[in-house]
Amino acid sequence: MKTTVIGAYPKISDEQQDLRRALHRHDRGELDANGLSAVLDESTRWAIGELNWAGIDVINDGQIRWDDLLAPFARAWNGCDRGSLERFYDNNTYFRQPVITGPITTDGKTLVRDFEFARREARGELKAAVCGPLTFATLVSEDSHYRSLEDRTLAVADAIAAEIRGLGAAGATLVDVEEPALVAHPEHFAIARAAIERLAAAGVPLALQTYFFPADPLLDALAAFPIAQVGIDVRSRDTHVLEKLTRLRQTVVLGIVDARNTRVETERELVGLIEAALKRIPAEYLWLAPTTGLEYLPHDVAVEKLKALVSAVHAIGGVKA
Amino acid sequence: MNDQVLLTTTVGSFGKPDYLQKARNANARGKLGESELTELERKATEEWIRRQERLDLDILVDGEMYRGDMVAYFAERLDGFRLGGLVRSYGNRYYHKPIIASKVARPKPMTVDWFRFSQSLTDRPVKGMLTGPYTMLDWSYNEAYKTRRDAALALAEVVRQEAEDLQAAGARYIQIDEPAIHARPEEIEIAIEAMGVVTQNLDAKTVSHICYGDFAAIYPKVLELPVDQLDLAMANYGYRWLELFDKDPFTKELAIGIVDVHTHETETVEVAAEGIRKGLRYVSKERLLPHPDCGLKTRSVEESEEKCRVVVEATKLVRKELARQATPA
Repeated sequence: MKTTVIGAYPKISDEQQDLRRALHRHDRGELDANGLSAVLDESTRWAIGELNWAGIDVINDGQIRWDDLLAPFARAWNGCDRGSLERFYDNNTYFRQPVITGPITTDGKTLVRDFEFARREARGELKAAVCGPLTFATLVSEDSHYRSLEDRTLAVADAIAAEIRGLGAAGATLVDVEEPALVAHPEHFAIARAAIERLAAAGVPLALQTYFFPADPLLDALAAFPIAQVGIDVRSRDTHVLEKLTRLRQTVVLGIVDARNTRVETERELVGLIEAALKRIPAEYLWLAPTTGLEYLPHDVAVEKLKALVSAVHAIGGVKA
Repeated sequence: MNDQVLLTTTVGSFGKPDYLQKARNANARGKLGESELTELERKATEEWIRRQERLDLDILVDGEMYRGDMVAYFAERLDGFRLGGLVRSYGNRYYHKPIIASKVARPKPMTVDWFRFSQSLTDRPVKGMLTGPYTMLDWSYNEAYKTRRDAALALAEVVRQEAEDLQAAGARYIQIDEPAIHARPEEIEIAIEAMGVVTQNLDAKTVSHICYGDFAAIYPKVLELPVDQLDLAMANYGYRWLELFDKDPFTKELAIGIVDVHTHETETVEVAAEGIRKGLRYVSKERLLPHPDCGLKTRSVEESEEKCRVVVEATKLVRKELARQATPA
């Protein structure tokens, strides 16, 4: 069993708002791009430090530079702009909808610099993350180039695959593919699978992170995806997925700490969920995580949630795989 | 004004003047007292009432100079809530997301004094402005209630009390915003049930503003929301929601958003007027109310004013066209 995190970490706390101030100053023209970048690096260092300090086994870089899950890609890719704001699934959090203006192309180096920075700062294991192709393709507001959702999703997949190759060359050994659209729109699973196959061809082990919606209808389908890990949120909706975990063939990243509610889970509650999972799958195939990015919580609660996660896993036996 | 068609209005909030923004920051740091802040809020409210009259808007709002966030404002005044730490909503915008920590109750009216004050400044109607129970729930963390329905109905009860007090204070329009109504389309029955609690005893015209989400996912079911008027963002969506009305006719009054609020630039009068013309294909001129897509609190005073100016000029342009059509040659 290992602990891990998914998605974005809070970028600021009530006490530490350097990044918020720096972005305001940058907007007003009082801070140049280099100055802002230095603050972004410092904030990334802070997030990585907190994740390491909390005792999370496999961390990410906190996605401090990501405005939203799609932003780094929509910004960097040719053929893609950032359009108007829209609600991100059932959250009171908003993202800029990508607008496709032509064929999507990338040099595959969008995330390399940030990964190398995080690699130098992080203690222990570090994983990278990308936006899932179906998630990106279904959240596009306008597309004047691709003729169908399938065409668009596969084109996005090719671009994401290039990013994964870039990350692999930079030393990444595990990449989260954040794909809430798969569980939000299970009807598109065949398209998602074709897309994920293209990502897998990049040769870096993938963790397909689904969240916000129940994975129940997709468990058998997910078992056949060419991925190392499947992330499952067991807190956001009613789900019976815990009883069906034997159907999966991959390592399960179980989202047991609700990253969208401030109520901090009791150790008993979390231990109960872990034990239920351990009845179905061996400990070496089980990782434990928050349900999604902790950025949906205020920083102080995010820290409490990490503590709850780590101490529940220790309480189970303190075994570190 | 009563025989006027295409009454113009706004969604509720306007940009705050610099002096008020500074005062709010100083107040948050404990460097400015409550009564000094309130004085400046009243000054800014009066300025916005005058501005709206000058712009020639028909149905006014108080501009929400005294509110930061549309849920947090109420959460701070209701028993049962506490405010959590900062959470990001998008870009570099953060808010204190409320936590429902125990059973909710309303110790005293929350908006009625502001309504009385702003209505006393003008002969034009000022809307009473509330946040709906489903949105209050969806934009808070719920630690206290077992189910989301339980929480929504408890919140509906306190919003009902406030709405009835606004009506007693003379409000002719009461707006109960539900921008989160499509956050979980499978829960629309809960939102409808909760709104029914709020509006059951109201004779005032009731309005609900809905924005930013998949409106198609809740249409036509949302027509069962017990309010007289739905207030929808349309410009930001290229008016695509109107096409839904081809299949299932729209049955309420429609306040139609004709300028995007999240851009620094404003559409031209002609582009905005075209939005009204599109709306007229589905809703009669007596039941169509042009306005900006959403609240303008993220814009400066000048930008807010400019967006309202375009709404009013576009409306006057279309009114003239309608008058010409009505006059026999």
